[in-house]
This record gives sequence, structure tokens and C-alpha cells, in this order.
Amino acid sequence: MLARALRTARVGFWLGWQVQSNWTDPFLFFVYSIARPLGGTLILVFMFYVVAGGRRGPMLDFFVVGAALWPVVVWAMQGLAWGLLEDREHFKTIAYIYTAPVPFWAYLVGRGLASAVVALPATVLTLTVGTAVLRVPLILSPDRLPALAAAFLLGIAGLVAVGMTIVGALFLISGEAWRLPDAVGQGLYLLCGAVFPLTVLPGWLQPLTRLFPVTYWLEAMRRILLPAGAVHSIPGLGDRAVPGALLLATGLWVLVAGLAYAAGLARARQKGILDASTGY
Amino acid sequence: MRVRRVWYAVRGRAYPRTVGAAREPSWIFYDLALPILGVLAFVFVYRALGAPPQFTGYVIMGGATVAFWMNVMWNMAAQFYWEKHQGNLELYMMVPCGLVPILLGMAAGGMLATTVRAAVVVAVGVLLFQAPLAVSSWPLFALIFALGLVALYGLGMFFSSLFLLWGREAWHLVSLLQEPVYLASGFYFPVRALGMWVGMVASLIPITLALDGLRQVMFPAFHRGLLPLAWEVAGLALLAVLFPVLALRMLRFMERLARQEGRLSFRW
Repeated sequence: MLARALRTARVGFWLGWQVQSNWTDPFLFFVYSIARPLGGTLILVFMFYVVAGGRRGPMLDFFVVGAALWPVVVWAMQGLAWGLLEDREHFKTIAYIYTAPVPFWAYLVGRGLASAVVALPATVLTLTVGTAVLRVPLILSPDRLPALAAAFLLGIAGLVAVGMTIVGALFLISGEAWRLPDAVGQGLYLLCGAVFPLTVLPGWLQPLTRLFPVTYWLEAMRRILLPAGAVHSIPGLGDRAVPGALLLATGLWVLVAGLAYAAGLARARQKGILDASTGY
Repeated sequence: MRVRRVWYAVRGRAYPRTVGAAREPSWIFYDLALPILGVLAFVFVYRALGAPPQFTGYVIMGGATVAFWMNVMWNMAAQFYWEKHQGNLELYMMVPCGLVPILLGMAAGGMLATTVRAAVVVAVGVLLFQAPLAVSSWPLFALIFALGLVALYGLGMFFSSLFLLWGREAWHLVSLLQEPVYLASGFYFPVRALGMWVGMVASLIPITLALDGLRQVMFPAFHRGLLPLAWEVAGLALLAVLFPVLALRMLRFMERLARQEGRLSFRW
């Protein structure tokens, strides 16, 4: 069962990569994959310098790391949802894929991971430019690498879980379904401390921010990559508590995703709308 | 007779953008909530930086402008991509009015609906954050807004012609023109911060001059514009003529090329 799921995910990954990238040559694709994230980062950098009058400060480091990681959030999470929508609405192949003897969820996970890979050049380039040009004091010492790798992989698992939860809803949504992944992305951008510390949000919104693995993932990555004394998004949480919170939130979301996926799929099959193209 | 056909086509294509939209009310959530979420995030960025309240006004105006840019890019420029997929493009080509009235209908409906959405974004932003938005001259505001809309939707028509020939490539181009355009046009900060020459190049995008001009009218004491206001209005007037004319020529050229190469009905 596991071997079949892994094989399906691998094939889904390959297909997702082809869909994402084979419309142009590798150089143009590289430019395409970095232009939007880099544009988003530079908006924040200019906002910072306009207010700070040209002086740098710890908030700039906070912006750069958050903006560098954000494309991974968007692409990994939305990749699953777009995979489903493209197959259903655009290529109209969902019936053939679903009826193939492969676990459909594993295929979607593969599609999502292919999207996450598209985001990586932008992340690496943003961090490199941030260090070289904006003098962001990134720490990439060998003793921090295991923690960095563990946090990164856990974050990806959390993002896939959020994406799978969206897929569960998309099974049942028509019409404007294309925009739901965007809406969730925008909501998380606001609620997960992507570009500002969560302490800035009104008190009544703060408990909501603690529900998402993305919140803890961004916080964990910042605490690993930036030196002590950097701006924290959740100052009340100790350095040792953040990975634990990330693990707990990810575990919970994997459960939620499993339930949402199964429930959405079952209902869509009952209603006979699994492959119903809605005419976007 | 021809004028009446054109009018029917414009009215018919504007219908789904205005009256017809009421049949799928989920747009109310997506078209209003999404720009507002973006606005909120950038307002909190400025709050984290301890910026003066005028910057909140910048962000609210930028957020409202995003609604127009998204409408022009996705519902004007990329619309022919969806129409190809649904098989409507061939039908458009066959009806005896041409593509331009159909695009004008899209633009008219889009302008109306998006103006309502942008007004809601501004109203919510002002109510939530008490942003200091005050118009110093309504006639100037209306003039810049109208010129900006004509130039912007002209640009949308220009881009739409690309979809007659290309599919995925043009779709990805439109997808690309988001954050880089928000950056170059100074959606969330004064465009002057990019430097005079970068700002001048970015002024080829009508939103750059329109947004900077509107900010000069709304924050006369605080905002340092890229150019004197009269120059920006003149530049916008030029773009409002240039883009529709270019769009007409480009549509004619691309249609001929697409027919010659047999790519009008290519879906991918």
C-alpha cells in the first residue's frame, strides 16, 4: 500500500512538474518562477526603507525571511488544489485518473510537491540576495542544519495537509472554485505572521493564528535562520516550544485533512459531481 | 444598423459582468474579501514599522487599485483564454460585429463592477483604520480616475490580443504581471521611492501615473509625487489615447496571424 502510494506520488510529481514547466524553455521558466516572489519581497523592502528613511533594522530581516519562505507556502498548499481543479475543469482527465488503480490522494500529494519545488529557486534567491545586498544576518552553520531540515520538512507536511483540506472542500464547490485556494492563501498571509509579527494583530484575532501549522513553521524557520535578538512573531513561545507546537499543529492538520478529504470525496461521489466540469 | 449591432454586442457582453454576476453570489466573497485581506496585511506591515497614518491611506488606495488590475488582467486580457476553452471564441469571430465591441462590453461591465468593489475596499479600509483620505479637488480626482480607467482597459485589450495566438504562454505572462507590477507601480508605497528613472519607465503602466496623481490629490501636503500633477495628467491622457489605438491595431494584426496559422481554436 505504502509502496503504491509512493510510486503514485512520484508519478504525480513528474506530471505536475511537466504541467508547471514545459510551456517554455528552462531559462524563461526560471525567470517566471522567481519574478513574482522577488517582486513581493522588494515591495516589503521598499515599504521598510520608505518608513525607515534608508536605515536598516531587525524588521527588515523578519520581512526577508518571511517573504522568502512564503512562495513555498503558496505553491505547496495551492499545488494540490490546482492539481484537482486542472484535472477536473481544464484537462477534464479526473475520471480517468480517479478510476486508475492508484490512490488518488497520493497523486495529488505528488502534484503539490512538484509545485513546492517550483517555489524553491525563489526562496533560495531571496535569501541569497537578502544576505548579500540587504545584509540580513542569516545563520547557516552546520550545527543548525538538522533543525533546519527537520523544520522545513515538517512545514511541508503541514502545508500539504492544509492543501488536502482545501481539496476536500473543492470536491463539492463549483463556479468560483478556482479562487478558493487564493482566498485561503490570502487569509494565511494575514494570520500566520508571514510579513509582520503576530503581536501587531488585534487581541481577538490572535487565538486564530495559533491554529495553523504555517504560523509555527515560519516562526521556527526564523528562529533557526536568524540570530538571537531577532524580532519574534510569537514572543511568548520559547525556542524549544516552537518545534513542539509545529509538530502538534501538523499532526492535527493531517488528521483534519484525512477527514476532510474522505468526507468531501464520499459526498461528491454520492452527488455524482466528482468529474462535473463547472465552466469557470 | 452597424452602430446598433455594436451597441447590442457591448450591452450583451457587459450583461454577465453586471446583472448576470448576481446569479453567482460567491463573487461577493472573493472579489471583496480577497482585496480587503491583502489591504489588511499591508496595513499591519506599516503598523509594525510605526509608519504615519497616511501610509495606511496609501495601502487602502493600492488595495482598491489591485481590484482594477486583477479585473483588467484576468477578466479582460486573459478572458479570451477561457473563451477558447469554452468554445466561445470561434462564435465571437463569427458574429457580425467583430471582437472590439465584445471587448468594449467586457470593459464597460468590468469597470462598473470593479468600481463598486474598489469603493467597498476603500470604505472598509477607512472605517476599520480611520485612514485620513480627503480629496482636495473632486474634478481633478474624477479626471485622473477616468483617464486611468480608459488607459488601463486599453492596455487590457492590447494584452487580450495575445491570446488569439497563444495559450498557456500568454496565461503565464498575465500570471507573472502581478507582484512585479505592484512593485513597479508603487501600489503600496510612493513610486518616487524607486527613483526617478525607474518611475518614468514604470509610468508606461497607466496605474503608476493614475495612482501617483490620485495620491497627490488626496495627500497634497504629505505625498511627494513622481512628477508635477499637470504632467501626470497629460501623460495619462496620452496613454488613454495610445493604448486603445495600439490595441485596435494589435487585435487586427493578431487575428490575421492567428487565422493564417490556424491557431484561433488551439486550446493549450
